[in-house]
Amino acid sequence: MLRKEQNDLLTQTGPGTPMGQLFRRYWIPALLSEELPENDCPPVRVKLLSERLLAFRDTQGRYGLIDEFCAHRGVSLWFGRNEDCGLRCPYHGWKYDVTGQCIDVPSEPDESGFAAKIKLKSYPLIERGGVLWTYMGPPEHQPPLPEWEFCTVPGKQTFSSKRLQESNWLQAMEGGIDSSHVSWLHRGDLNNDPLFKGAKGNQYNLNDARPVFEVVESPGGLYIGARRNAEEGKYYWRITQWVMPSFTMIAPRGNHSVHGHFWIPIDDENCWAWSYDYHPIRELTDAEVAAMRDGKGIHVKYVPGTYIPLANKTNDYLIDRVAQKEGRTFSGVQGIAMQDASLQESMGPIVDRTKENLVSTDNGIIMARHRLLRAVKALVDKGITPPGVDPVHQKVRSAAIVLPPDVPFKEGAREAMIARPDVAPASV
Amino acid sequence: MSAGLLSESVLMSSAAQARFRVQAPNSLPRAIKVVALDPAGEAVVRRLAVSDWRHAAFFSVATFTRDLEAQVASADLVVMVAGPGGRAEAAAVIGRACSDRRVTTTALVVDAASAPEEELARTLVQIRPWSLMVVIANSDEYVEDLLVALRA
Repeated sequence: MLRKEQNDLLTQTGPGTPMGQLFRRYWIPALLSEELPENDCPPVRVKLLSERLLAFRDTQGRYGLIDEFCAHRGVSLWFGRNEDCGLRCPYHGWKYDVTGQCIDVPSEPDESGFAAKIKLKSYPLIERGGVLWTYMGPPEHQPPLPEWEFCTVPGKQTFSSKRLQESNWLQAMEGGIDSSHVSWLHRGDLNNDPLFKGAKGNQYNLNDARPVFEVVESPGGLYIGARRNAEEGKYYWRITQWVMPSFTMIAPRGNHSVHGHFWIPIDDENCWAWSYDYHPIRELTDAEVAAMRDGKGIHVKYVPGTYIPLANKTNDYLIDRVAQKEGRTFSGVQGIAMQDASLQESMGPIVDRTKENLVSTDNGIIMARHRLLRAVKALVDKGITPPGVDPVHQKVRSAAIVLPPDVPFKEGAREAMIARPDVAPASV
Repeated sequence: MSAGLLSESVLMSSAAQARFRVQAPNSLPRAIKVVALDPAGEAVVRRLAVSDWRHAAFFSVATFTRDLEAQVASADLVVMVAGPGGRAEAAAVIGRACSDRRVTTTALVVDAASAPEEELARTLVQIRPWSLMVVIANSDEYVEDLLVALRA
């Protein structure tokens, strides 16, 4: 459980909140690059950390992320004309560049200098690995560019998607580090999903539904190890990475791609669930990319023209009680992503953690909250940069590995948990 | 859209509906026993024991194992605390008693931030067979947060 004030602190990320200050120390994914596909394309509304913004790509290909509303009369610039290196408000013609600087106020004489006095709030927006990233914190604390391996490998080795999740970011993220639910909610998917099936590690999983967990603090967050028995007295380890505040990376299976998530607050009651799949040393096959686009693995099918999952709360997640009864799915919901999202949204927009009853296997969640609370306090009280900002903390990998029984997995998998170019992932 | 056209999930997952959740307690207290396995664990246990806990009790190995059967029988969860490299052999005795009575065990290795690998390994070998959950924490602050999270 958390006390109410702790729950409020961790779940509120708007401007001026302690957790909002923490999130504003990181580069966070804002849009997929495909959302701004060409110069002078239509702008896109973006809401992040409870701030309403507008993203656009100007005539020279520069990206901008600015306050959504015109400084003149408060019109949404989503209706704006993206032309000649700026976004022009259709109401009275005020025009802004990618930095939010007003560059034209047609009703005022040029020589008045009035336009120079108008500037909308803006944030940097950069492209990396098919994702547009923004930094919404103090400029003097802007960290180096993101170094996550999924966004630094060649483009044909990586695939990212995002989906709307109608819950607070924390209950979504906690699902990502809650390894003990996999044997229940997602049973059945290991041997059926094209992005998982066929790996030897799946048999270790299916032979032992009650793994033992070890949680170890890492420089950027946590290593969460799930231990199962392997041959000759050895242990099969699946090691999940959590890097603060909201990056998770799931242990790989066989030669399949490696995958994981970012959980990014839209506001306090909604978040973006970002899902990435990549392979460190080979291109993704056409079949793999097709499966990801088709909503397999950790991805979803969409309501056409949106990033809203096709199975969503308005259609009760297309729950299939017959499939549930017959054991084809455990919860009746199809697909790993929506199996998670349906349950996390059912908790309500912000789950009341004063009423929960955690158990031993929830230590990953308890430790993550512990680290977040400590990091927020250190940042707010002393200005200490939180873990996960340092690019070294981002060059991590999850791992699936067989180790002797007396070896701490942190040591036995030390090399495997570091992202290195052209080095194959540790996978079983 | 009228309420009649909304799905069950849309209707029931709103913030407004959270007001109607049953407010009655949904659990009975759990008896949590925290046992120090070595001097590092004893320092933690001694510090925590002076706080006001409702459902947690704190022990050295000697006091806990003096009446092991009764202590385990009256516990819902046994938390063992040790430092890296310490003598944690009592984990086997306590763990076996807990296993016999189907009492859950958690082991915490504290102050592990800069511990040499061999010291950490020595402790892990002793506690792993007897712990359903192992946490390796950089400092000892985590123990208190864990107990609060478990409603101790």
